[in-house]
Amino acid sequence: MNPLTQSLISGLMSGAVYALLAVGLVLAFHTTRVVNLAHGESFAIGGLVAATLADAGLPAYVFAPVAIAASVLFLLAVERFLLRPRRSWPIGNLILVTLAAAFLTRGVLQLAMGVDPLSFPRMFTGAPFRIAGGVLPPQGLALIVIGVTTAVAVTLFLLFTPLGRKLRAVAENPDAAELLGVNVDRARSLAFGIAGALGGLSAVLLVPLVSVDYQAGLGMTLRGFIAAALGGMAPATVILAGLGLGLSEALVTNYAGALAQDPIVFIALIAVAVWQSRKIAFGGTGRA
Amino acid sequence: MKIMKFAILTLLAASTGAAHAADPFVVGIVAPTTGSLTTVGLRQLSAVQWWEKKVNAAGGIVGRPVLVVHCNDEGSPEKSASCVRDLISKGSVILLNASVTGPIRAAMPLLQNGPVMVTPSPNIVPSPASYVFQTSPSDVDLTKSIASFLKQNKLDRLAMLASTDASGEVGVASAAEVFPKEGIKYDLARIDLRANDASIQLANIVKPEVKVVFSNYSGGGAAAVVKSYNNLSLAQPLIVSYANISDAFINVIKNDLPTRLLGTGLKAVAPEMLDDPARRKHVEDFMASYKEMTKDNVDMLTLLGLTLADTADAVLRNVKDPRDAASVRTYLETNPVPSIQMLRWSKDRHVGMTADDVSVLEYKKGKWVKADPVQ
Repeated sequence: MNPLTQSLISGLMSGAVYALLAVGLVLAFHTTRVVNLAHGESFAIGGLVAATLADAGLPAYVFAPVAIAASVLFLLAVERFLLRPRRSWPIGNLILVTLAAAFLTRGVLQLAMGVDPLSFPRMFTGAPFRIAGGVLPPQGLALIVIGVTTAVAVTLFLLFTPLGRKLRAVAENPDAAELLGVNVDRARSLAFGIAGALGGLSAVLLVPLVSVDYQAGLGMTLRGFIAAALGGMAPATVILAGLGLGLSEALVTNYAGALAQDPIVFIALIAVAVWQSRKIAFGGTGRA
Repeated sequence: MKIMKFAILTLLAASTGAAHAADPFVVGIVAPTTGSLTTVGLRQLSAVQWWEKKVNAAGGIVGRPVLVVHCNDEGSPEKSASCVRDLISKGSVILLNASVTGPIRAAMPLLQNGPVMVTPSPNIVPSPASYVFQTSPSDVDLTKSIASFLKQNKLDRLAMLASTDASGEVGVASAAEVFPKEGIKYDLARIDLRANDASIQLANIVKPEVKVVFSNYSGGGAAAVVKSYNNLSLAQPLIVSYANISDAFINVIKNDLPTRLLGTGLKAVAPEMLDDPARRKHVEDFMASYKEMTKDNVDMLTLLGLTLADTADAVLRNVKDPRDAASVRTYLETNPVPSIQMLRWSKDRHVGMTADDVSVLEYKKGKWVKADPVQ
């Protein structure tokens, strides 16, 4: 085996998941200005629901859509019942509300699904692809292709369709958007629904290759947020940031070891944050 | 619920005025029941609670009920120390610690004057001067059993994956102590506890000449190693760690079982390997009774929980005043405790088992049995 090739393959697989999660976070952020810290719970819910249904003997064409639907419902509920009634609250408080939602969800998942990690069979099976000394399982290829394609499709939707423009208009100025006839509540629900679908999809694609438990959500939120922050919270760039984060984590692990992974990723995040705040310090118009 | 139970028992004891003799023996147990080590803590706690129910149903010990008080350390060293302080303040005559290396080590300095603490973590090798007793073989003993298995199979090369936490550090130190002496070369890679992919590490250490891979990664995340093993279509037998001989672990990897899944485990996991008929009967009786009470199967973690319960049982039955930590320590140093296997401590060694109590096991047809040779 070639460790470098394997690192690139692993990095792309992780990166595709980070990209999906980051796009979902950015989508919700662009309609509410709230960094949804419960976003990763959509991953945990999707993965646990899929694993439970698969364990009950249901086929993939049933458990996968049901799991994604559960993730969608979860984030719709977060928007409808937690954020919408508190629209007038300061953004910082709303972020704390989403953090509380994340911890509450974690507790509910622990009670409902148990504490043991779960997984389910791969949906894409067959002999692995051997590329330049690296090994890519069919499920991994599906994860990269479907993950990146979906993330790109959502980004194109946001940038180039009338509905996508409405969503962005809500983000820029909700009052003005409402005056122009945009239903702000519906736009926010749509954004959270799509974000939930992306979280559920990432779980359905990734969990067969790893495992999931009740506490997987916050870790996923963190990775998605790092990718989103590295990409400047802009839909088009967070996909590249997600893939870049996955690849850099993998290369750091390969060349510097697992112990160096977190410090290097967080140093990169701090460097980007300092760079972005520099624009403000020097009177620029960029947002931190 | 446990607080309520504790309060009711305490109030009952206080109000009757009768009876010092009816006061419960308080047995404190530290076990992570949330967090990434939940499985490790819950399985052991469950065995100790099985013992509590069984003993109390039979009228207690010398007429006194047993009250097991649990504290959840979440696998955190800070919370572990806090748990131990709390359990001592609640009057625990003996402490059981079902956590892992870091948290257990954090609690040990609090026990300079007792009470006795018993733990099954193989990574803990307590000083003979301490009040800490360990019921498993040491990690060095477990590593020796792997070395012995490799030598029996005429193999001198191993790939090893170790976690980046305190347990991993102990595993790395044991490997450095044992394998070179036995003429075994090994390639080592480390993996972060929260990682969900081990394929990069495996790609770095699994070379064509390596015939066996060993992962000392414990806890639920060890599934990442097995999943990555399958993702890479590796064919070498994979030896997993002592703490992964559990149903929960098998359940999460059941769709990705390696060609051959081996593990370092106590012989009691495969009771047919026990030479002593009394020990075999004890294990088989426990398996039947535990399953009847909990509807759950016994795995190695539950058996390790039973070693804690058996030790507490022996102390409460045989030490005249179990509140006297020095008497408890002397008793344990001078009397073997019959459990799933005999636990033998001494004034020079507070580790209850040796490499002879361990075997490399293999998961076949839904159960762990003695491992077949490696071709």
